[in-house]
Amino acid sequence: MRRKVMLAALLLGTSGLIAGCDQVKNAVGGKTVEVKEADYPEKVLWGDTHLHTANSVDAFGFGVRLSPEDALRFARGEEVTSTTGLKAKLPRPLDFLVVTDHAEGLGATKALYDAPRMLITDPTMRRWYDMMHEGPQGSQRAMAEILDARGRNDLPKAMLNAGDAAERTKSVWKSNMETVEDYNEPGKFTAFHGFEYTLMQGGNNLHRNVIFRDGADKVGTVAPIDPTYKATPDEIWNYMEAYEKATGGRVLAIPHNSNLSNGLMFELTQPGGGPMTAAYAKRRAKLEPVVEITQIKGDSEAHPFLSPNDEFAGFGVAGWELSNLLGNQPKTPNMFAGEYVREALKRGLLLEAQMGVNPYKFGVIGSTDSHTALSTADEDQFFGKHTGNEPNPNRVMQPQNLGTRKGRFGWHYLASGYAAVWAKANTRAAIFDAMERREVYASTGPRMTVRFFGGWDFKADDLKGNWVQAGYKRGVPMGGELSGGKNGAPSFIVSALKDPIGANLDRVQVVKGWVDKSGKAQEKVFDVVWSDPGKRKPVGGKVPAVGDTVDVATATYKNTIGAPTLATVWTDPEFDPAVRAFYYVRVMEIPTPSWPAYDAVRFKLKLTPDVRVKQQERAYTSAIWYNPTKS
Amino acid sequence: MTWRTRAAALLREPLVHFLVAGALIFVVLSGRAPDTGERRIVVDEAVVTGLVNNYVQAFRRPPSDDELDGLIRDYVRGEVYYREALRLGLDRDDDVVKKRLRNKMLAIAGAEAEATRPSDAELQALLDKDPARYAEPPRYTLEQRYLGSDTPSLRAAAIAQLSSLKPGDAPTLPEQPIPLPGTLDGAPLIDIATQFGDDFALALEKAPTGRWTGPVASGFGLHLVKVIRRDNPPPPKLADIRQRLENDWRSAAVRKAEEDNLNALLKGYDVVIEKPR
Repeated sequence: MRRKVMLAALLLGTSGLIAGCDQVKNAVGGKTVEVKEADYPEKVLWGDTHLHTANSVDAFGFGVRLSPEDALRFARGEEVTSTTGLKAKLPRPLDFLVVTDHAEGLGATKALYDAPRMLITDPTMRRWYDMMHEGPQGSQRAMAEILDARGRNDLPKAMLNAGDAAERTKSVWKSNMETVEDYNEPGKFTAFHGFEYTLMQGGNNLHRNVIFRDGADKVGTVAPIDPTYKATPDEIWNYMEAYEKATGGRVLAIPHNSNLSNGLMFELTQPGGGPMTAAYAKRRAKLEPVVEITQIKGDSEAHPFLSPNDEFAGFGVAGWELSNLLGNQPKTPNMFAGEYVREALKRGLLLEAQMGVNPYKFGVIGSTDSHTALSTADEDQFFGKHTGNEPNPNRVMQPQNLGTRKGRFGWHYLASGYAAVWAKANTRAAIFDAMERREVYASTGPRMTVRFFGGWDFKADDLKGNWVQAGYKRGVPMGGELSGGKNGAPSFIVSALKDPIGANLDRVQVVKGWVDKSGKAQEKVFDVVWSDPGKRKPVGGKVPAVGDTVDVATATYKNTIGAPTLATVWTDPEFDPAVRAFYYVRVMEIPTPSWPAYDAVRFKLKLTPDVRVKQQERAYTSAIWYNPTKS
Repeated sequence: MTWRTRAAALLREPLVHFLVAGALIFVVLSGRAPDTGERRIVVDEAVVTGLVNNYVQAFRRPPSDDELDGLIRDYVRGEVYYREALRLGLDRDDDVVKKRLRNKMLAIAGAEAEATRPSDAELQALLDKDPARYAEPPRYTLEQRYLGSDTPSLRAAAIAQLSSLKPGDAPTLPEQPIPLPGTLDGAPLIDIATQFGDDFALALEKAPTGRWTGPVASGFGLHLVKVIRRDNPPPPKLADIRQRLENDWRSAAVRKAEEDNLNALLKGYDVVIEKPR
């Protein structure tokens, strides 16, 4: 074999080539950089933990041709040319990025597209091949069919050749790994190794993003694993534990789009039924410390069906509450409880009461899940979910049904979200560790700065001094746990600062969940600080709406209402020391135009009345849990 | 059916493309019929190890004996059909094969740049060409006081206060609480822009040092600012930013290599374009 390679190389007259192919690039410029970690997190870091490039089976099928290198250059603030030929540049670079291409069929549609047509004998695959070569629209139709077939466990056998797939995966993974190493710049910009484990039971979304704390030396010993037809996440947990054991490295998984799992993501039972075991709960909580709560395919915080008294529940659920991910199973209201994060936090308390372990004690982040290789979550810069809806006049109203005609349209996509991380340095280790201790929060796009500390002796006066230091010294930050208070109710330092180039803030709320004496999970949303408190007096326990300065005709708004910053020290007025509870913060912006409104101006569109043209963007923090002392 | 897809997979193999490209060039050079190699298929240890490794990657366990036999059978099938297809000339005048070969030629053209390690001189030249791109941002040591939302009356009050301020005096306008640092110590301008907004950062560049100025508008409202020190870090040294330079060098070099390669090849051709009228 080797001899023949040499022969070919000689014939080609590029003898340096062969050596070059096998050369591992991390020897190049391999300078180790020391980055000092701060005593406590001083600056919030913004990133995206969920991004797809041409190596993802569906992203390529949807038309994207950009590589992980393009994705990294874009996230770092470089101008790149999108697949549809538009120049794209982030006005504000991100601090970190995880390229999470689907492990399943890594590089596969690209391989099918590139294959010689005459050798594709499977008629279905040949049809998909032809559709992909027709152009972007045909490509999207082909992708819809492929996803649909995947959901029905009905992919052509030829596509499921494990040997081919493993070979492809290995080579794509190796090449990505080199790129990620090259673009990781400790202290300035962090590029993580990762992939998406696309676990999907009959079209129900049980996806996880897998993120490594380590460099290529350790991560290079494994390859992404394919979840095809696995029914439960155990397989990825086995993989993660085996990796940690073999390498001494660390890895975590982030579930996402629980809103499309048709009730399966946060079950009360063991997957498949039967009571949940403590071992399962412990394992899940350890390996999955963070959940993605908001992204382009909808927002998973709260649903009006579950939270009828929360007037802000139901952000970004339109279109997504119709069915599961693939649209092959309609959704019924009894499924919502297993899908929304607030409910999952409540279920976690219930399960903990039963078996002593809380499987759902997780932090929250946002990320894009963009399939364009471009990480955009700002309404006025939104590049769409996939290449078919990069900016163009039709994307707002285009059906997005994966061929099922089930009523999802382009405007149902959200320009959301980003992950905010309170890390002690901009390094893989520091950001990963912050995720593990859940000191993270989610934004639907705007970069608000949000702090949240819980303790037993915070007083209003604390806000006058160095309250951040006090927060860490006398309390716990978001993601932490409180117990054993002797001085009555816990108090919380809550502080929010608007995005410096964004909209003012409407209000800051604390969402409390608990299990009452009868063993029922309860929730309550408290308005704790809001703008114009002189004029906006609570009515029936609720602060009136902030107002609205959005001019839809021009897609503009004015910061003449709201406040640039809101902060307070809040004490739970209904605290019961015997009752386990969680508290998290929701920060609401004043209303602003949504991306369809910007599109309407850009492309002179007339939108139908159902299209979302304005919205209140928001940030969700990870919770702080109160654990009663056992009596 | 699988033999065909296996053949398709093989045709996607870089090795196979080397072989095909090599064979084609050999044909061009010799004028002889394509020699598709010996009529002997050797499944040696290296091939078997490769098959097993791929299997382990996919299933996280080694194949059973039966499974391994299957893998080998499939490999042999692939080789046979691949060689026979070449012998029959099935690769010729196939648009897709042409396109694949073109992509492979591009990859070969780019591969050298991809694998080449640029010299220090080349990286230095890149740095010298656009020093601003690689320069560390200026660092600021300053004090800031947040006065509140930007209103005409607040603006007027700030201007009045500053004009009456004697050197060394501190402003007395009431400060509003905001979770932003009151003092910054050697903060890079880019971080300040992230925290306060671009307009604020731009204003700093023009601000005098050593005294209170303003009002400076940020995304939050109005501030009074005293720039204590402005440090321009020394121009970056190659050693400190080698990886960034290499990334930029490589991404440009791959593009250039593809262009150069095409231009060089084009020299060997007469291109006649006859557009229909």
